[in-house]
Amino acid sequence: MITAITMMVGIGFFIALDSLYNGLDRLSVDDLINYRDSSVKIFSAAYDADRESYPLDKGISDAAAFATWLKKDPRVVAAAPRTQFLAQAGNYRDSIYVIGTVVDPVADPGVFALKKVLIGSYFTPQNGQDRQIILGKDLAAKLGLKIGDTVLLAASTRFEAQNADDFTIIGLLSTSDPTLNKSTAMITYAAGNDFLDLGGLVTEVDVRLRQRVNLSDTLSDAASVAAGVKASFPSLAPYSFQDLNKGFLTVLRQKRLWGYMIMLFILLLSAVGIVNTVLMSVYERVREVGVLKALGFRSREVVWMFIFEGFLVGCLGSLLGAALGVFINCYSIYVGFSLAGMGDFGGGFAFWGTLRGEWNPGSIVFAVIFGMVLAVIAAAIPARSAARMTATSALRFV
Amino acid sequence: MESILRLEGVRKSYVKAQRSVEALRGINLTIRKGEFLAIVGPSGSGKTTLLNIVGCLDLPTSGSVLYDGRELGRMSELELSVYRKENISFIFQSYNLIPVLTVQENVELPMVIERRCSRSEMRRRAREIIAAVGLNEMADRYPRELSGGQEQRVAIARALVKNPIVVLADEPTANLDSHTAEEIMSLMETMNHERQTTFIFSTHDAMVQRHARRVIVLHDGLVSEDRGEAA
Repeated sequence: MITAITMMVGIGFFIALDSLYNGLDRLSVDDLINYRDSSVKIFSAAYDADRESYPLDKGISDAAAFATWLKKDPRVVAAAPRTQFLAQAGNYRDSIYVIGTVVDPVADPGVFALKKVLIGSYFTPQNGQDRQIILGKDLAAKLGLKIGDTVLLAASTRFEAQNADDFTIIGLLSTSDPTLNKSTAMITYAAGNDFLDLGGLVTEVDVRLRQRVNLSDTLSDAASVAAGVKASFPSLAPYSFQDLNKGFLTVLRQKRLWGYMIMLFILLLSAVGIVNTVLMSVYERVREVGVLKALGFRSREVVWMFIFEGFLVGCLGSLLGAALGVFINCYSIYVGFSLAGMGDFGGGFAFWGTLRGEWNPGSIVFAVIFGMVLAVIAAAIPARSAARMTATSALRFV
Repeated sequence: MESILRLEGVRKSYVKAQRSVEALRGINLTIRKGEFLAIVGPSGSGKTTLLNIVGCLDLPTSGSVLYDGRELGRMSELELSVYRKENISFIFQSYNLIPVLTVQENVELPMVIERRCSRSEMRRRAREIIAAVGLNEMADRYPRELSGGQEQRVAIARALVKNPIVVLADEPTANLDSHTAEEIMSLMETMNHERQTTFIFSTHDAMVQRHARRVIVLHDGLVSEDRGEAA
């Protein structure tokens, strides 16, 4: 029973840690989806060809109608238009180049979760008409500005005329992405249409998809929706999350590989514990082997008896471990562990929200089979040496 | 009485701490059916070695051991195991009951290994012998719930349940108080009378020697005295 409990704890925590480890990766991806990239980003093909220079004359025509079409897909939760522009933000002494974003204050919070990481207030339809702005907190700090101060924004309009105006800072973004914190300058379409002479120009539509438990499902949905848009609207250039974050996902995969190696090391450490417990339980019973041999058991029968017992203990321990792992996973996936209060880890990296696990049936099956095989091997080794002993030696074994 | 076992010039030597030790130095012995026989002698005289050879747990270095005319030395490991399973039973000094099995299951164990009778037959025979050793009420208990004397009774029941030709007992009363030891010896005597089973035990205990009808004294691996009914 002690062996089964040891296995249960080792295997249960392996499954739970694997789930949480995947959940940590998921948290990083979710942060990018929630604060920067959304699940799918759609540009016009013409804009896409010249995207690096943020042109303001190549937008998506009839973006509102396109967003309505998108929402017919059951996987799509929300879609919001955005227009990006290059600008300089200044405090009348210094200025910094920024990537400005024009947002729809009603639709945008449906796609991006920026309100959750906002210090100050967000745009409202009433105040959206005014010259108001949300800045990244590091950008504001660099300019020595705070909420309520005025920032001078200078940019080229759609017709390449230079324009500059004062905007009142109503909020500061404090995300886990240092780039956003250093370069965000966000205004509403009401203000942007006037300031940049946009005439309703939308350079991208961002799409939020339904929440899926597993990262692979999330990525698969994004790829599928992007492919659907591409097939139905050849003039558009859709990018799924993974298209936009190839490098990041490669690093994530590498990190996961290292993570698996660490998990494997942990599993091997618990394997040593499991093997030791099984070995002890077999060695404790060497005298029994002597009795059984004296009663007529053959060596082969002794080995098989211990292997069978090892298999049963392995089954029991592994299945109890899987049950424990699934139980912990149910909590971590459906309730989660709040990261509130963990704050900034330094270096601009911080976590918000709730850390949730992920289902990983592969690791559960692996852990169960690993436990069973380990118990059988651990039982077979001492059983073979006990079975090789003569009945008299086994009976004298202390 | 018919002879069931004959030892002719049996020698046994083994290496202990890189030194050759001659435990038996030419034993000649004939044992007949139904004997109640004690092997006595000081420590290191070869009692346990002789018992192991008689019990087919060990083979002699030289000489021959004949059971019903069949020589043990010519049997394979499998044949020895089968012969032991069918004809010989053991009672150990420290009882050696299987702790995870109940009294009933411990007694059934030799029949389970033998695989010769049905489950119900095993149960019936086990209950019968448990009753005979006076443990009817304890059949469902585990060894840890029994006293030393009760455990040794279970060991006797386990030894007798398959009606062996020979029961070998290595110091069967060594771990028991004198009163319980007397009870155990009386029980074995009763079984010997009722079933005509041959009992051979090694002992230091004078009381056990008083119960024995034949006493073989070993000294330095040789029979120094053989007294009693067969002598």
